[in-house]
Amino acid sequence: MPYPRIYPIHDHALTIEFSTLISEEVHRKVMQMKRVIEKNSFDGLVELVPAYTSLTVYFRPPASQIEVHAILQEQASNLKESDEEEVHRKIEIPVCYDPSLAVDLEIVMQSTGLDHDSIVRLHTENEFKVYMIGFMPGFAYMGTLPPALEIGRKKTPSLNIPSGSVAIAGKQTGIYPSTSPGGWNVIGRTPVRMFDPEQPPYSYLQAGDRVRFKAISLPDYESYL
Amino acid sequence: MSITIIKPGIHSSLQNLGRWGLQAFGIPIGGAMDSESAITANRLCGNDDNANVIECTLHGLVIEFDELTTFAVTGGGCRLQINGEEVPFNRMIKVVPGSQLKTLPFEKGCRSYFATPGGWKGNAGQVLNVGQILSTENIPAPHLAASIVIGNDGFGIGNWKAPEIELPSIHSTTNIHMLPGPEWDDFTEESKKAFTESTFIVSPSSDRMGYRLNGTALKLKKEHELISTPVTRGIIQVTNNGDPIVLMADAQTIGGYPRIARVSGSDISLLAQCRPGSKIKFIYNP
Repeated sequence: MPYPRIYPIHDHALTIEFSTLISEEVHRKVMQMKRVIEKNSFDGLVELVPAYTSLTVYFRPPASQIEVHAILQEQASNLKESDEEEVHRKIEIPVCYDPSLAVDLEIVMQSTGLDHDSIVRLHTENEFKVYMIGFMPGFAYMGTLPPALEIGRKKTPSLNIPSGSVAIAGKQTGIYPSTSPGGWNVIGRTPVRMFDPEQPPYSYLQAGDRVRFKAISLPDYESYL
Repeated sequence: MSITIIKPGIHSSLQNLGRWGLQAFGIPIGGAMDSESAITANRLCGNDDNANVIECTLHGLVIEFDELTTFAVTGGGCRLQINGEEVPFNRMIKVVPGSQLKTLPFEKGCRSYFATPGGWKGNAGQVLNVGQILSTENIPAPHLAASIVIGNDGFGIGNWKAPEIELPSIHSTTNIHMLPGPEWDDFTEESKKAFTESTFIVSPSSDRMGYRLNGTALKLKKEHELISTPVTRGIIQVTNNGDPIVLMADAQTIGGYPRIARVSGSDISLLAQCRPGSKIKFIYNP
């Protein structure tokens, strides 16, 4: 299939997909496309939703599917290796990796063969990129984890993962913004509120952000709250 | 002007046409399931299309009017009674304080929409509870409302109406038009055929987020790597066990299952009026 591929997911929403494989380079194109559409906004544009490999454009009249399709096709063919530096925020997030909060620490140690200190080191020494927000309000999909830290999803999802839990699955890491069921392996907890329904833009992180985790002690974690 | 929720019924909530512009933060659009009926209710009351309405699922909602009130109900899924007397959908109604409006079981449709001039105050999406009081902005009712004469039974009905909509019956099959989804061609020819030729039943575990359908299990040509892709209202995903799920008003923004099809925009409100147990058939006219 030739890429990029443009298809409707709704009468008023077109997705432009750059690949079916997740990579930094593909995501760079997604964010570049988002900036290009923002710069060349059109009458009827509602919102842009970036994902791992695609950007979805929501619109309403007077914009039509045919017109938006043409705009996407044209802008995509003009995408170049942009010389302008992608503007992104750098965000440091404190995480307490204490075993009392890292409920899946045992599973992760067994599966990866790493000790606790190595897990914390690998998780804090790398900068991660926010690929997209989804699954639930404010849930950031971040990557890419070093191969040594890769571990599959849990076979049986946990029913109650506490809000603020920092978890890993595959090449990804994420933070549960509110208490929810989930299949990722919890290795710590942040006191930072990732989603605040009272405070626009509600989500602490957004696609494109660069995140670095900073280990904090249990007393520090408690004093944050 | 205010009303008291005596009983919220099976599920009642405040809805408008959804919050837009926040999907990039993982926040679903939400809004009325049958947005066409919500708009009609608002237009009968002289409101903006996006004003808050009460969405009542099936029956059981009982409202008491604390003051002289004009209102209109659209959609379906129940019968309406004021102080024990049957009253119609799709008309403006005026009631005296102390009157009660009841929603009773009916075999067609699934959701009804209650609008009042000015719209209900409150956060769209909130679920209504027993004893909750809802009020409105104090705006004058449309001039036409003044022409409604209140009878001895404590209410009056306007002599104009909005058009009735087709309500799906639990006893027949409802045709829903669909268009191929992004992963349509990843399904076997047999499954594509079964999808448009067989009948599916709306499962009891359906809600505002999605309709689970039971019927022929749908199969992919080969197993997919699960990559998260954008989804929205109307998208039909197929779970690992082959059951389709139609995403509805509270659809999440990102989904992990292959998207076999999407419901045509013109039939989403019709589907929202199908209740659990309803039979539906997907129609595809390439």
